[in-house]
Amino acid sequence: MRLKVQSVSTTYGKKTILHDVSLPNIPAGTIVGLLGPNASGKSTLMKCLAGEKKCDGHISFDKLNVAETDQKHWFNKVATMPQTPPSPTALTPTELMWSTARALALPISDRELARNIERIFKDLGLVQFALSPLHTLSGGKRQLVGLALALIREPELFLLDEPTSALDLHWKISVLALVHGKVKSEGKIALAALHDLDLAARYCDILVLLKQGRIVASGPPFEVLTSQNIERVYHVETEISDTGKGYPRIDVIAPLKENHENA
Amino acid sequence: MTNSNDLYTGFSQLTRRRVVVLSSMFIALLVSLWLDILAGPAGLSAGQVLKGLIHPDTLELRYQIILWDVRLPDALIALAVGAALGLSGIETQTVLDNPLASPFTLGVSSAAVVGASIAIVLIPDIPNLPTQFILPFLALSGALGASLLVLLVVQISGGSRQTVVLFGISLVFLCNAISSGFHLIADEDALQQVVFWTIGNLTKAGWLEVAIVSSCFFIILPFSLKHVWLLTLLRGGEAHARSTGVNVSRLRTWVIVRSSILAAFAVCFVGTIGFVGLVGPHIARLLLGEDHRMLVPGAAICGALLLSMASTLSKTLIPGVIIPVGILTAVVGVPLFLSLLFQRSRRQ
Repeated sequence: MRLKVQSVSTTYGKKTILHDVSLPNIPAGTIVGLLGPNASGKSTLMKCLAGEKKCDGHISFDKLNVAETDQKHWFNKVATMPQTPPSPTALTPTELMWSTARALALPISDRELARNIERIFKDLGLVQFALSPLHTLSGGKRQLVGLALALIREPELFLLDEPTSALDLHWKISVLALVHGKVKSEGKIALAALHDLDLAARYCDILVLLKQGRIVASGPPFEVLTSQNIERVYHVETEISDTGKGYPRIDVIAPLKENHENA
Repeated sequence: MTNSNDLYTGFSQLTRRRVVVLSSMFIALLVSLWLDILAGPAGLSAGQVLKGLIHPDTLELRYQIILWDVRLPDALIALAVGAALGLSGIETQTVLDNPLASPFTLGVSSAAVVGASIAIVLIPDIPNLPTQFILPFLALSGALGASLLVLLVVQISGGSRQTVVLFGISLVFLCNAISSGFHLIADEDALQQVVFWTIGNLTKAGWLEVAIVSSCFFIILPFSLKHVWLLTLLRGGEAHARSTGVNVSRLRTWVIVRSSILAAFAVCFVGTIGFVGLVGPHIARLLLGEDHRMLVPGAAICGALLLSMASTLSKTLIPGVIIPVGILTAVVGVPLFLSLLFQRSRRQ
């Protein structure tokens, strides 16, 4: 089971958003971190991988080509967690999970489905909110419900678009540790668009650094997260050190204002 | 929650509670239907009505006619039109993610008024044409024409809900302007007829109209019920629905098509009865939550109940006078809606 992304380009109107993006071959049991400033193309690449946006180039997963596979079949293997959390309606997290499972015709009994939902809610600290309307939950809790919706489908490929953006420190670490554990123990693949470089360095096997729709660097965290690459992409001065645990630590010293304004 | 059955139990209890509420609403609907059949100036007692329903021949001929040709069709068209507007309203609100959406937001009823105005103002007397069918036929044509335009816009915009809502509102303004033009050239009688039709009135419907609107409702209902999981999922947000592989644009197109057709048939015989399609779904949502397994039938029942209650009130408020029901839908619905809304606010 591998994810292949080769020469992917796409546009919004006349504006090209992704320019010939290729990722290294990604085997099972890998977490890939997509890094880059706002509007660098991370979410658009996610949409291409999800089959939501048409693109040129080649995307395949487990021998299925996204362009030749119908959406239903593709989404049997791929689960996306969008950037925006579920809407704050009167719907409860359980109803949303239940309707997702039933809309997708997941072949499990009601009792088994309830057990799965409860297990996921326990992992994400949502049990006490299971039957509370979404509009009573904080943005962070709703973001966790969004992740729960991806987990209930037990996909082989997770596409997580900024999965920790609204979460506090505890849940940032917990969520990435949960995804890490699932990917490693069950041989799945996860792609996560992230803004926190330290978390990306800690939990991802491969990092892909994007700027204005082009790949600046890709590979293991120590190769990608260099002072030069980060300065080039984020326009900040950094110091990189080794944590001694197999991943680097990034200390941001100061923003490079002139470069950023001219970029 | 301490063991793995707790969520199952909790969710099952919630669902059961809602089934009880839905069943109670259905019982209330039957009671309302009974009261609507009883209401009227002919002085028929409950016993006579019951006897007349079971053994029509036992009633005097004039009472048979009152019961079977006036009261029953009037009471049943209220249910059929109300249910159609309620169902159309809930589906429109969900797919457009807009609490102010109703069948009328898409311009369907305004286009029906244009059709009705043409029938009343321009072609009042054509020899050999059955006049009782010209008005509903043109109203239906106008409403279906608007539905077709909305469908076209849905296709062109790729199912964008903002575009659809804005187009619907523009269409309402355009149709209102055209109708106003007809009003300007209409004589006094025709103008009065147009105004009367626009308010909404159930008393001109017969069994044929009941059969047509009911058939339309019962043909469309299974398609709505088939989509209840997808509609519930859509309430979590379009992005999440898309992320599970739901073709939201296609779903939106289908729902808008069937909601528009349903609204078109609902208004063509009885006029533009407002409010039911907007507030019926909201009352159902307050009572039943967002699970569309309950909400879709619940909104239809609420719509039918509102119109049935308004119909009863229209015959009993002023003895001997039948007030057009369109005037009373808001009178019945607003207090009910506001009391539920304030009750919920207090609970929260």
